[in-house]
Amino acid sequence: MGTSKLMSLEEAISTFVQDGDVVGIGGLSFWRKPVSACREIIRQGKKNLTICTFVGGIEVDMLIGGGCVSEVKASFVGMEVFGMAPNYRKAIEAGQIKVSEESEASIALGLKCSYLKVPFMPLKGIIGTDFPKVRDDIKQFEDPLGSGTQLMALPKIDLDVALLHVPYADELGNGNIAGAVWLDDDMAKIAKKTIITCEKLVELEDIKHLPGKAQLPMQTTQAVVKVPFGSHPTSCYPNYTFDPKHIQTYLKMNFNDYKQKFISKKSQAQYLEEAGGVQTILNVLL
Amino acid sequence: MERMTEYSKDYTADEILTVLMAREVKNDDVMIVGVATPMVWAAFTLAKLTHAPEAIYHYIMGNTFVYEPRQVSLLYLEMNTARAYRFQNSGECTLESLPSDTLTTIEFFRPAQVDQFGNTNNICIGDWEKPKIRFPGCAGIADFSMFYKRGTFLYTTRHDTKTFVTSDKVNFISGVGFPDGKPSICGGSGPQCMITNLAYLDFDDSTKRMRVGSIHPGIDIEEIKSSTGFELLIPEGLKETEPPTIKEIKALREKADPIGIRKLEILAGSEREDFLNDIIEKELAMEMKFPKLIK
Repeated sequence: MGTSKLMSLEEAISTFVQDGDVVGIGGLSFWRKPVSACREIIRQGKKNLTICTFVGGIEVDMLIGGGCVSEVKASFVGMEVFGMAPNYRKAIEAGQIKVSEESEASIALGLKCSYLKVPFMPLKGIIGTDFPKVRDDIKQFEDPLGSGTQLMALPKIDLDVALLHVPYADELGNGNIAGAVWLDDDMAKIAKKTIITCEKLVELEDIKHLPGKAQLPMQTTQAVVKVPFGSHPTSCYPNYTFDPKHIQTYLKMNFNDYKQKFISKKSQAQYLEEAGGVQTILNVLL
Repeated sequence: MERMTEYSKDYTADEILTVLMAREVKNDDVMIVGVATPMVWAAFTLAKLTHAPEAIYHYIMGNTFVYEPRQVSLLYLEMNTARAYRFQNSGECTLESLPSDTLTTIEFFRPAQVDQFGNTNNICIGDWEKPKIRFPGCAGIADFSMFYKRGTFLYTTRHDTKTFVTSDKVNFISGVGFPDGKPSICGGSGPQCMITNLAYLDFDDSTKRMRVGSIHPGIDIEEIKSSTGFELLIPEGLKETEPPTIKEIKALREKADPIGIRKLEILAGSEREDFLNDIIEKELAMEMKFPKLIK
């Protein structure tokens, strides 16, 4: 029954990610980021992507370092207690990429607009900040129904493709997330194409019995790729936590050296070997 | 036997900050734990262990509501959020639950710049178009700072003239204080306090300007004045900050944050890096990865 959407990472990225796309990235900060998919985007040399994520970390920084990004929409891009995101910071300070200044609500509401098919959503926030000075696509207005409330109109965000990493998926495209969902479910709903990478491939029957079932349902998924440790060096609950040593390594290395060692022409197995192999896996396993 | 409150004699700078933040928590609060703020997590856990046992954690990293207190952790925060009694997706969290009239929320923001009216900047230094320094961003501060019924709570581990600047020097307002000395039209209570390594600052009821609420033991008022880029209101009969009690310090050191992860917010340079490496080694060596449940 059903058509299998299982494919290789190379095939999924080359088929469904085009230069100039608006790419939604799931997860949050150092948690459950689709980093293997981002490394593949760098390997394939995709260009002029607009990256949209709720809270970004090392994956956004890598894509910028890899020259794939022309614009970022995120409420925060940083390396948590490890410091600032170096490529993100450098690229903005040098005027090399565009930033759409975002808050948490502007991302969450922008995505909500997309599935409600409305051009904007109102928010009783952002008013009084300097956001309107740097965003000509947001506007303060008075409640048209007459309450007198001042509101901020925040525009729709459409995604061409969503990259989401989950612990469990079936080949039909049902994805199950253990733990926090963040905006992954909204992204899957609205993206024209959704690529799910997963730790473990299971059957539809298993998805039915997992808590939360298919938070990412098959009807919105185009590709499923099995990539164990696919969100390393970020976490994937309940399998592993983020890899603090790899993040430190990333911050100490010149990005081009990092790219040579960990990204260019590296299979997932070669990547994990370079990243410390068995010892690293034992370090991060929960 | 009745005894007078006994105060700690050996508390450190990170400890007085954490204790003062904990004291702001009320028993019916939802405590918002943001990204990369171990000191806030330590303060909230300390509050749970001392005077606010019913307070609820809301972890932004999980968008989860969690009831039980666990030891502060660097690597295993997500394990803690997986012990939630309710999950929300980020849309629900941002748009529905937090700015509600039935929850009293407490959230601490750590600004890169703050002016005399509590307006804050977490975006950039210099012109936004081509900044000298670009910061990670303001996350939800732009959404909530004008909203919270209980107001917002500010802290900094570095009370200096880079952080405390006059309104014209704030490069980007990403958190709303009292715009032009008036409450926000969005209905929130505005900034309630700014807790620093030198003083507890609050806001004057009529002018909404920042004033010295109390001065930490051993700190000179002149140091506070020279470390602030605008004129602080200084009330007559300036009070001294109530120091951390022995009980608070014991709960913080032995239960809430024994590894001392909160110190990452106060250390700098190679000292910080060495300490970070030490925390990582200690936590990687743990067999049980769930942050320790505190009973």
